Amino acid sequence: MSQVEKRAGLLRRTSSSKKPLKEKVVLMYDEIFKEDPAKNNPRFWDELFLMKVNLEYLESKLESVDGEEVQRIQDNINSLFHHCVQALGEEHQIKVVNALQTLCALFRGVHQKNKSASGFDIINMLMGFDKAEQRMKDLMERLDSLLCGDGSESLKSLCLKLLLCLVTVTDNISQNTILEYVMINSIFEAILQILSDVSSRGQHGYDAVVLLALLVNYRKYESVNPYIVKLSIVDDEPTLDGMGMVVHQALTEYNRQYKDKEEENQGGFFSTLTSMVGSMFIADADEKLSVQTNEAILLALYEAVHLNRNFITVLAQVHVYFSLLWFYLCVCCTVMNNPELPLDPNLQTSNLLITFLKYASIVMQDTKDEHRLNSARLCLIILTCIAEDQYADAFLHDDNMNFRVNLHRMPMRHRKKAVDKNIPSRPLVCAVLDLMVEFIVTHMMKDFPMDLYLRCVQIIHKLLCYQKKCRIRLHYTWRELWSALINLLKFLLSNETTLLAKHNIFHLALLVVNLFNMFITYGDTFLPTSNSYDELYYEIVRMHQVFDNLYCMVLRVSTNTGQWKEAASKVTHALVNVRAIINHFNPKIESYAAVNHISQLSEEQVLEVVRSNYDTLTLKLQDGLDQFERYSEQPKEAAFFKELVRSISLNVRKNVSLNTLSQDVLLKEFSTIS
Amino acid sequence: MVVQSQSIWRKPTDTGSSSPSLSVCSSPSLSLPSTPSSSSCPAPGPAPSGTPPLGVISEGPGELSLVIDAEVAQRACQEVLQKVHISLMYQNRVDVGGSQNGAGPEPALSVTIVKPAQIQIREVEDDPGSVKSARRRQRHNPSKQSWLLRLFESKLFDVSMAISYLHNSKEPGVQAYIGNRLFSFPHDDVDFYLPQLLNMYIHMDEDVGDAIKPYVVHRCRQSISFSLQCAWLLGAYSSDMHISTQRHSRGTKLRKLILSDELKPAGARARRDPLALTPFCPAVSGSGEHGLSPSKRTHQRSKSDATVSISLSSNLKRTASNPKVESSQDEPVRLAPQREFIKSLMGIGKRLATLPTKEQKTQRLISELSLLNHKLPARVWLPTAAFDHHVVRVPHTQAVVLNSKDKAPYLIYVEVLECENFETSSVPIRIPENRIRSTRSVENLPDCGMTAEQRAGSFSTVPNYDNDDEAWSVDDIGELQVELPELHTNSCDNISQFSVDSITSLESKEPVFIAAGDIRRRLSEQLAQTPTTFKRDPEDPSAVALKEPWEEKVRRIREGSPYGHLPNWRLLSVIVKCGDDLRQELLAFQVLQQLQSIWEQERVPLWIKPYKILVLSADSGMIEPVVNAVSLHQVKKHSQLSLLDYFLQEHGSPTTEAFLSAQRNFVQSCAGYSLICYLLQVKDRHNGNILLDAEGHIIHIDFGFILSSSPKNLGFETSAFKLTTEFVDVMGGPDGDMFNYYKMLMLQGLIAARKHMDRVLQIVEIMQQGSQLPCFHGSSTMRGLKERFHMSLTEEQLQLLVDQLVDGSMRSLTTKLYDGFQYLTNGIM
Repeated sequence: MSQVEKRAGLLRRTSSSKKPLKEKVVLMYDEIFKEDPAKNNPRFWDELFLMKVNLEYLESKLESVDGEEVQRIQDNINSLFHHCVQALGEEHQIKVVNALQTLCALFRGVHQKNKSASGFDIINMLMGFDKAEQRMKDLMERLDSLLCGDGSESLKSLCLKLLLCLVTVTDNISQNTILEYVMINSIFEAILQILSDVSSRGQHGYDAVVLLALLVNYRKYESVNPYIVKLSIVDDEPTLDGMGMVVHQALTEYNRQYKDKEEENQGGFFSTLTSMVGSMFIADADEKLSVQTNEAILLALYEAVHLNRNFITVLAQVHVYFSLLWFYLCVCCTVMNNPELPLDPNLQTSNLLITFLKYASIVMQDTKDEHRLNSARLCLIILTCIAEDQYADAFLHDDNMNFRVNLHRMPMRHRKKAVDKNIPSRPLVCAVLDLMVEFIVTHMMKDFPMDLYLRCVQIIHKLLCYQKKCRIRLHYTWRELWSALINLLKFLLSNETTLLAKHNIFHLALLVVNLFNMFITYGDTFLPTSNSYDELYYEIVRMHQVFDNLYCMVLRVSTNTGQWKEAASKVTHALVNVRAIINHFNPKIESYAAVNHISQLSEEQVLEVVRSNYDTLTLKLQDGLDQFERYSEQPKEAAFFKELVRSISLNVRKNVSLNTLSQDVLLKEFSTIS
Repeated sequence: MVVQSQSIWRKPTDTGSSSPSLSVCSSPSLSLPSTPSSSSCPAPGPAPSGTPPLGVISEGPGELSLVIDAEVAQRACQEVLQKVHISLMYQNRVDVGGSQNGAGPEPALSVTIVKPAQIQIREVEDDPGSVKSARRRQRHNPSKQSWLLRLFESKLFDVSMAISYLHNSKEPGVQAYIGNRLFSFPHDDVDFYLPQLLNMYIHMDEDVGDAIKPYVVHRCRQSISFSLQCAWLLGAYSSDMHISTQRHSRGTKLRKLILSDELKPAGARARRDPLALTPFCPAVSGSGEHGLSPSKRTHQRSKSDATVSISLSSNLKRTASNPKVESSQDEPVRLAPQREFIKSLMGIGKRLATLPTKEQKTQRLISELSLLNHKLPARVWLPTAAFDHHVVRVPHTQAVVLNSKDKAPYLIYVEVLECENFETSSVPIRIPENRIRSTRSVENLPDCGMTAEQRAGSFSTVPNYDNDDEAWSVDDIGELQVELPELHTNSCDNISQFSVDSITSLESKEPVFIAAGDIRRRLSEQLAQTPTTFKRDPEDPSAVALKEPWEEKVRRIREGSPYGHLPNWRLLSVIVKCGDDLRQELLAFQVLQQLQSIWEQERVPLWIKPYKILVLSADSGMIEPVVNAVSLHQVKKHSQLSLLDYFLQEHGSPTTEAFLSAQRNFVQSCAGYSLICYLLQVKDRHNGNILLDAEGHIIHIDFGFILSSSPKNLGFETSAFKLTTEFVDVMGGPDGDMFNYYKMLMLQGLIAARKHMDRVLQIVEIMQQGSQLPCFHGSSTMRGLKERFHMSLTEEQLQLLVDQLVDGSMRSLTTKLYDGFQYLTNGIM
């Protein structure tokens, strides 16, 4: 109680008297916790909402209510809630603002108090069971009309904050029973309206998108969530565009921040020197380039891509960023009269997918910390969804849509940092493949991210399936992919024992070998040149030792009895063709070398041998190489998403409470209005 | 001839009895007599009853009305023309104007017009032009011109002759008559000469202008596209005038009038306060209108355009925060959407020019076009197209920037929906981009809505569309429809099945074996069989886009388009040029088309491909791209082969049917263009300006240097036309049959062209009027052109000439030098 008082009196610091002077509003709060406040003062509620809210006091007061007291004051709290909702309909904006904030405090305070209590108790305490439905209906309707109306932008912002506050008030969103009423009284349309309008999107788009992402995750797997249903059928172009734009801007902002930080870190000789010296003292102070990742926005992107098939087209919208700029220019200087627009010619066009790929390349660099690991996983899941979608694939492979995508590459000892400027402009799928290759070569470490590797290899497989089906001959340097995959196998082999303790490496090995089988058996349908098929054989033969070792290993495991027996034997079968190729060509190459007395054959010579000896090689056609399991969130990913949503909730709650409810701005605004 | 003369003599009396069917015999091209109303409007109100057949112009009450009584005018003309001796015309039609002036009695040819003209004047007191001309007419003496009249009335009298007389005759009577007579020609025929008509209107004396104006105004009222066409051409051809005179010139005034959109169909205007309009143009409103416009709906329609469908203009201006600003004023809607559309295309071109690299240009182009897409569909169309349509979408990702050093011409593909009439048919509803999937799944049969013809076509390209009806209802790649190239069925039938689908049934435990050699072979076979594509080069993005066969591109874009399922979906393409003067191109197009029709008429199998030109102003315009064609430069650069080897690669060995027909096409087109190059003195013939199409034809493009102009290049290109040894090699060498065929074709072509020389000369001559174009530089342009037809030579002499020309061109050092020069300076191979 003393703590409460300390917080309460602003004036207390100056006066040392025992009876502190309390704010009027605090007194009024106190009254609520004693008896029916309206009994003595019929205008009590009117006056209350004219007072500046003291959130902290109200919250802590609610927290400190004891068990028996609850019964006593429940009616008063219900009444407070009721009047808050009513005040939302007031003309007087100050009242609306105060009511919104009071509601916020109510939700938070009551939850804080009853952390362990069931959702029903909380509802009962806030609104009273019998009236809960009506109260929440009123509340949602009021919020809806505030959000959609022509009112002040700050008010709208506050509404969204209240909703965010309500949604994140529990750690596990699915345990937040009040949301059941938000499901019944949908504010989905209001959210969409905010997103479809350019100006409101600019101001509230981020909150709206996060709110939507969270609402979609309410009891996702247990019941029918109307937000999921509604989101999946949205087909209004501007709205989807708007959603894409919000995500795009958030990701762009992240990429920019990262870049700034990166440049800061490598700024000149002196700073490198100081940082070297510095790192000598702070041994492992992990001065990493860590910009707070933004899982909430990524989750929104995922839900949009996963649930709404129309959203895929938004990924391909070329001009997202650019158009915004163009639009403003349009408004400023009537464009059509002035064809010479003062546009920056160096402005690179971009789209959501490119930004996303860049973001993914940053996030994937370092997967050690939990948030980044989650982000990286989510990125790969999104890419999986994209790779499965036909329209997205068509866009990725569109030969006319060429882009330069500057992926971030981890600086590594054994390779130079790629010169960014020389990246050619290519279809976007090349960037996706680059990203996958980049991931494969950079994450072979003790703490092996098996899950990410599986996803990565599956994405490649899905893209290959599309290319095979549609006979798209992508001009990609497949060699890089092949050698990355072979190196991965090599890594698995050399770390067999440590890895086997934690993972089923045979599954991954099988997927990798089957990628090779795709190339071997169906190469004719999607390889760009006949030479590339020769090169594939060359690469396999050159690295035959890896395949030999792999075969020995899987043979050994599959002959022993053990938990991996079956998995390993699958790999042995999958290796049939690769081994056939090695066994066929190796002797030929050796004899060629012997006949021509050459110790070291050049690549051209080996290719020559390969070319002239195809006809005597027979391969076995394997089943289901071009089949893949479609992505489904349930049941495999459910746990991941639950955890993810929990962490997002915590994060959002923290951010909402920290800075956004400061009402100075609001008051300033409304004092001039009213 | 007897019949004709009969009809002419009968005419005066017949017209008296005012039988509408009567003049059928005099103007063979129409079933109805030459009233503008009869040809254009389905339900003429007052016209049929007792009004004369020709050139009836009447206005509704309340409007300032002026009636040029066609019958009176016609009779007057007849009387005048009776005095002219027809032999004059037949011998040398072109010189008629001159001889009329020169000879003493002839100029009087219109004296008898006096009375009818006076009648006119009384009715039209505020038309100073006609007053003056009428007075002038009074000075003339009557003389025998019946033969001219007979010609005018005869079947042979076509637009070409009309234009020629309009230009050459100094007689206001004749001019007025022809002005009226224009109404009786089919619109398309007159449209061909629109540049000539307007150029005469701008640059010639008032009489000609007065004769032409009613027709132009009349057509403007009828058609939006004609209005815009006129406005653009008037702007372009007025631009050579001195600034001070330009502003007050007739052309500029008419252009302003058209663009002000006052020339609405009468029905629409009648609803408005007539007084508001009268000050504008008494002459125009008086003479051009016939009060029976078919499109009363226009006014309302334009209103609904603004609200229902998106009107481009209002849309471009509408702000983000207030999307409902849609224009409440319905004034500019008639012409505005199209003008805004064209304007934005031009704006893009101008902005692209500021970007340094091709790649940046391409990206900017794509993003700008995707913005444009947001404003479509609208009541806009591509004027280069041959049918009525609305533009619904620009597949922005397909657009390419063309090769040019400092300007930024670009090629866009445009999806359109064909419609009855773009002015009256309703604008299609926008289908959002992301509807592709739903429309696809709705549409189970991929070829529903195609015509039988198309379906037949589509079968050959995509053989197993029909096998699987559900192919399009799902869009997972797992179940994606596979399109087998045809070759699969014939080359390696059995195994290829496996390469398409692996066997998934687990029952068949029998292992299936395939030979690695087969896979490899299939790969190289398929790579060879797929039509050769050029490798993508960011510095030359157009090469790849142009190499793709048109049908394939259409199919591909159709599949990706949300509108693709509609039966009236069409794909068009257009090159947008910004900063280039296309007036010479237009002139060349007209000459080419004229020659093409001459050769067709004379049954000479020369092949040329005139491509449509749209002049928007003196420094901008659009070009209809030649489909399925790439430039010789691109061919050489990307294939690294000689032309003959390229032919062998594309069409097969020299004895195959495919090669032989490609070779024949090559020869026929070479001969055609050799003649064109010679006659028009087309210069700057480097390989970037010569296209090769998929059937082996060559097509010359870029007529920037013709007639008297040539690039300032130290006297390269002195030969008559470009004939390199490579060309001759494709023809089978200088001793081959095909080469002789080539020369023979040229001779036949030249003879045919000579026969109809006037039709060609006339086009050029009229355009020379008031023009500052470099191709008319100097005084000898026309003389030179005429001389190149070699009227005086016998056919034997002509043959000798052709041989000389061919030999000279083949040996020409300068051609080779010029190619080398182009390679060094511009990198054109």
